[in-house]
Amino acid sequence: MKKRVSLLLLGTVTASLLAACGSSETTNTSGGTSNTTEPVGEAKQKVVAWAWDRAFNGGALDIAKELYAKDHPGFELEIVDMAKVDLEQKLNTNLASGVKGGLPDILLVNDPNIQKYVASYPGTFAEFTNKVDFSKFSPFKVDALTVDNKVYGVPFDIGVTGMFYRSDYIEQAGFKAADLENITWDRFIEIGKVVKEKTGKYMITMNPNDESLTSILLQSAGSWYITPDNKGNFVDNPAMTETLRVYKAIADAGIAKPVTGWSEYVGSFNSGDVATVVSGVWQVTGIMEAKDQSGKWKVAPIPKLNIDGAVNASNEGGSSWFVLEGSANKEAAMDFLATTIGGSSEFYERFLKEKGGVGSYIPAFSSEAYSQTSDFFGGQAIYTDFTKWSKEVPGISLGMYTQEAKDSLKNELPNILNGADLAKSLANIQKLFEQQVQ
Amino acid sequence: MKKFGTGAIHFFLITVSIVSLFPFAWMLIGMTNSSAEVIKGKFSFGAEFSNNVAKLLEMTNLGTAFWNSTLIAVVGTIATLILSSMAGFGFEIYRTRGKDRLFGVLMLSMMMPFAAIMIPLFRMFSKMGLLDTPAAAILPSITTAFMIFFFMQNTKSFPRELLQAGRVDGLNEWSLFARVYMPTMKPTYAAAAIITFMNYWNNFLWPLIALQSQDKKTLPLVVSSLSSSYSPDYGVIMVAIVVTTLPTLLIFFLLQKQFVQGMLGSVK
Repeated sequence: MKKRVSLLLLGTVTASLLAACGSSETTNTSGGTSNTTEPVGEAKQKVVAWAWDRAFNGGALDIAKELYAKDHPGFELEIVDMAKVDLEQKLNTNLASGVKGGLPDILLVNDPNIQKYVASYPGTFAEFTNKVDFSKFSPFKVDALTVDNKVYGVPFDIGVTGMFYRSDYIEQAGFKAADLENITWDRFIEIGKVVKEKTGKYMITMNPNDESLTSILLQSAGSWYITPDNKGNFVDNPAMTETLRVYKAIADAGIAKPVTGWSEYVGSFNSGDVATVVSGVWQVTGIMEAKDQSGKWKVAPIPKLNIDGAVNASNEGGSSWFVLEGSANKEAAMDFLATTIGGSSEFYERFLKEKGGVGSYIPAFSSEAYSQTSDFFGGQAIYTDFTKWSKEVPGISLGMYTQEAKDSLKNELPNILNGADLAKSLANIQKLFEQQVQ
Repeated sequence: MKKFGTGAIHFFLITVSIVSLFPFAWMLIGMTNSSAEVIKGKFSFGAEFSNNVAKLLEMTNLGTAFWNSTLIAVVGTIATLILSSMAGFGFEIYRTRGKDRLFGVLMLSMMMPFAAIMIPLFRMFSKMGLLDTPAAAILPSITTAFMIFFFMQNTKSFPRELLQAGRVDGLNEWSLFARVYMPTMKPTYAAAAIITFMNYWNNFLWPLIALQSQDKKTLPLVVSSLSSSYSPDYGVIMVAIVVTTLPTLLIFFLLQKQFVQGMLGSVK
C-alpha cells in the first residue's frame, strides 16, 4: 500500500514537472510575440504602475501625471496600490513563474532591493542610463541605482537623515541649539545623560529588532553591512566596529527608551517621551502628527562617528521607479518618468509642498518650496538644511544581501549588548552571514 | 470543593474572555479616534469616527472591494459546499475499488503547503487566461481535502435506511442526494459554510497574487495596502478592519446554533 502511494506521488510530481516544462516553452513563445509587437509609444494605452502608500507614492505619480498630461493629452495611468511586502511577493511570483501577463509597466522599488532585482532577473528592467541626466541628482542616490555602470530606474524620494530634537527639553537641560550642531556620538551620549538627569526624559529610542540606527551610522561613514562585491563587511571594518561600540555605549548609558515596534516608536516621540529622533527626512510627517508640540521641535545634523571619513550626514530609506523591459508600454512609461520625476523641478517642488516628500533632484533645491520655513520647527527652514546635508551623504553600494547581513547582525546584537568581546562577535556575524548566502 | 471548582472555572473563563475580546474592543474604540490618539494608546471613545469613515472612503474604493469580497466568498462557499458534500457523500456511501487509496492520496494533499503550489498554480491560471478574474480567486479552493473529509465524517452518522427508503420510493441517486441527504445534513452544511466563508473572506496570499487590477481587489488586500503607508492612519485602518470583520461576525452569529450542532454531528 505504502509503496503504491509513494509511486503514485512520484508519478504526480513527475507529471507536474513535465507540465511545468511544457508551459515554460509556451510562455516563452507568447513572451516573444508580445516583444515583437511594437511599443505603442504615446498611443492611448494605459500605463500601469505598482506602488505602496497610495497617498504618498501614488500621490507623487498623480502630480507627475498632471504635469505630463499638459504636453501629452490622452496619457492614461492606472495606479495599483498594495503593501510593500505584498508588492515584492507579487513581483517575485510573477517573475519566478516566467509569466509576463499581469506585470505592470512601472514599479516602485525600495533602494536596498535594487541590486538584488537587477542581478536575479537580468534583462527584466529597462535601463535609463542615457534617458535621464543623472548629474542633476545627489550622487549617493545614483550610486544606489547603478549596477555595472548602468543605471536602472529613476531616482525618487530619499531619506536624508537629521537629528530631530525637542528644543524645550534641550534648553531645560542647559544646552543651546549650537551645542547640538555637528557633534560626535560620544558628545551626544554626554548630553543625553544630562538631559535624562535634568528632565527625566530619554534622549533617544532604541529598537533591538530594527537596524535603522546601525544603518544610519554605517552609511555616515561611507560603509555598509556588505562590500560592493557582496561579501560580509563585519571583520576588519573600522566603521562597523565603531558603529557597534557607539550602539552599545548608547544602550549602556541608559539614555535610550527601548521600543519594540513602529507604532511604539512613533508613539514615544508623539507623546513627548524622548528628546531626539534620529531619522530620515520623511519622519517630518510623523513628528508633525503631534500638533500640540508645534514650535518645540528643531532639526540638527546627525552626530558623527569618531573615525576618518565619517560625516554628519546619512540616509535612511528611499525608493526609485523601475520600468519593465518587456512591458508593452515601455517607451511611454520611460518617457513619462524621465520627463517628470527624472527631470522636472516643478515636480519636486509640488511633491514637497503637497506630499512632504523630498527628492534628490538638485535643481529643485534652490526653489522657493525648499526654502520655506516651518512654524512647527520653530521657524527653521528645515528643507534647506536637509537638502544641504543630502549633498554630503556618502555614496555606498547597497549590494545584494543587505537583508541577510542585517539579520546576521541582529542575531548577535544581544550578545554585544551584554558585553561580549566585540572582535569575536564580529567574527561570528561574518561567519553566520557567509553561511546564509552560500 | 465543588464551589471552589466553579469559581476557579469562572475566573479562568472570564480572564480568557477578556483576553479574546480585548482586540475587538480596541478595534471599536480605535475606530473613533485619530491616528495619533491610537498610537498613544487612548482607550476611550473619541469623536473622529465620521472623519475616519470619510477618509477611508476617499482613500480606497471600499464599495468595490466589499462587492468583490462578497462575490468571491458567496459564490465560492456555495460551490465548495455542493462539490465537497457530493464528494464526502460519495466516499462514504458508495463502495468502489480503490476508494480508500484514492482518499489517502486526497488526504496527502492537505499536507502540501500553499506556497509550494503557488507558482505552478499561477502559471496554470495564466494559461487559462483567468488571472485577474473572480474565478481565479474562487477555483483553487473550490474543493479542499479538509471539507471533503469533514462531510465524509459527518456522513458516517447518516442513517442509510433513509436512502433505502428513498430508493424504494423510486428516487434516483441525484434526488436522494438533493432531497434526502441535503435537508438532513443542514447543521453540517451550516458549520461547513461558516468555515468555508471565513476561508474565502480572509484569504490573502492567493488573491494577492491572482488579482491584479485595482478594481478587482478584495477587502484584506485593501486593508494590507492601507497599513503599509509611511505614516499609517490607524484610525482609518480600524474602520477598514471593522468593515472587514463584520460579515464574518454576522454569519457566525446567524449560524451559531447550527454550527455547534454541526460540529457535534448532524444526526444524533
